[in-house]
Amino acid sequence: MEEVPLLKALHAKYSDRAVFLGISVDISVDRADRAVTSKGMTWLQLADGKGFDGAIPQAYHVQGTPELFVLDRAGRIFAKPASAKAIEARLQEALARPPQ
Amino acid sequence: MNGRPISRAMSAWFFAAIATVGVGHGRTAVAQTDQPAPGAAVAVTEVRQMVTDADKDIERYATSGGAAGAADHPAIKWNAALWQVHARSPHSEAGAIAAAEAIELLIRAELWDRAHGRVESLDADDPAWERVPSALYSEGIARKRFEYTVATLAKTAASTKTPSIKSAALLIIGRVDRRQGDLPAATRSLEEARAAAPGTPQATEADGLIYEIEHLSPGLPAPPISGTPRNAHGAITLESFRGKPIVLVFWAST
Repeated sequence: MEEVPLLKALHAKYSDRAVFLGISVDISVDRADRAVTSKGMTWLQLADGKGFDGAIPQAYHVQGTPELFVLDRAGRIFAKPASAKAIEARLQEALARPPQ
Repeated sequence: MNGRPISRAMSAWFFAAIATVGVGHGRTAVAQTDQPAPGAAVAVTEVRQMVTDADKDIERYATSGGAAGAADHPAIKWNAALWQVHARSPHSEAGAIAAAEAIELLIRAELWDRAHGRVESLDADDPAWERVPSALYSEGIARKRFEYTVATLAKTAASTKTPSIKSAALLIIGRVDRRQGDLPAATRSLEEARAAAPGTPQATEADGLIYEIEHLSPGLPAPPISGTPRNAHGAITLESFRGKPIVLVFWAST
């Protein structure tokens, strides 16, 4: 959660050119909803309340949080930034690649 | 000075033993406190206390300007103290923790040669080997070179008779291969790690890494995502965003 301010700044800067999609691994959708509101995480948010056992965290082999992925314009895995700080450089690389 | 807390604890242990077997054995037992018998038990909690003390000592050294790799680094004396515990009971839990911690202290202090000396003195079936592979991985990351890590782990994997140690060593070789972008080699090492010790935590970890290589490597189509966002109307899929890069943030409220 300490990375939220940085994510918000990135979202504000890039939301016209890139999609931000949050996937909660909470075991309570209400908790997730409350956090989205109180922290102002206004990007798209999916939550199923199944924690790490949810289909999406399982498919992405998510072991902890935050865990981050950058996908390219064609929906392929592009990078797995180790922290929010590392997102911007990889996102810029993905943006620099022409659609194909 | 480092050995003292343990000697004191050992004395207490031996005196307790005397009390149970009778005074007649007192002389023998007291003589043994000076030179503990091989296999004399040192409690795991005592080893953990030593490690806590060592960490504090090393932190003080670092904050007062002490340099990594220096000959007066406190990791050296703590390594010696922990190694004594290991020497007393090499195949006990406490001995294994002591040896692994002793090696980790040297690696964190960037005292590579000393660390290697200890690593190479370990029997390939010493239970400390369960943890040493991870320590050697840390060394490789710190030095940005993995030659020693891979060569040493390959040797241990080939010579150990303990499945979990073989698996732990191969697992780290697989991690190094993956880090260096050699995915076929990584997959081979990880499959070997998984096969060496089925059902162990190492096998589970290898399984996860193989999955990541096969499904989550750069350039592969991202696993499908679909659902209705909590804060928007209508269902989404990854395809619905085609043409724009996507940042996925897996997060938790706590």
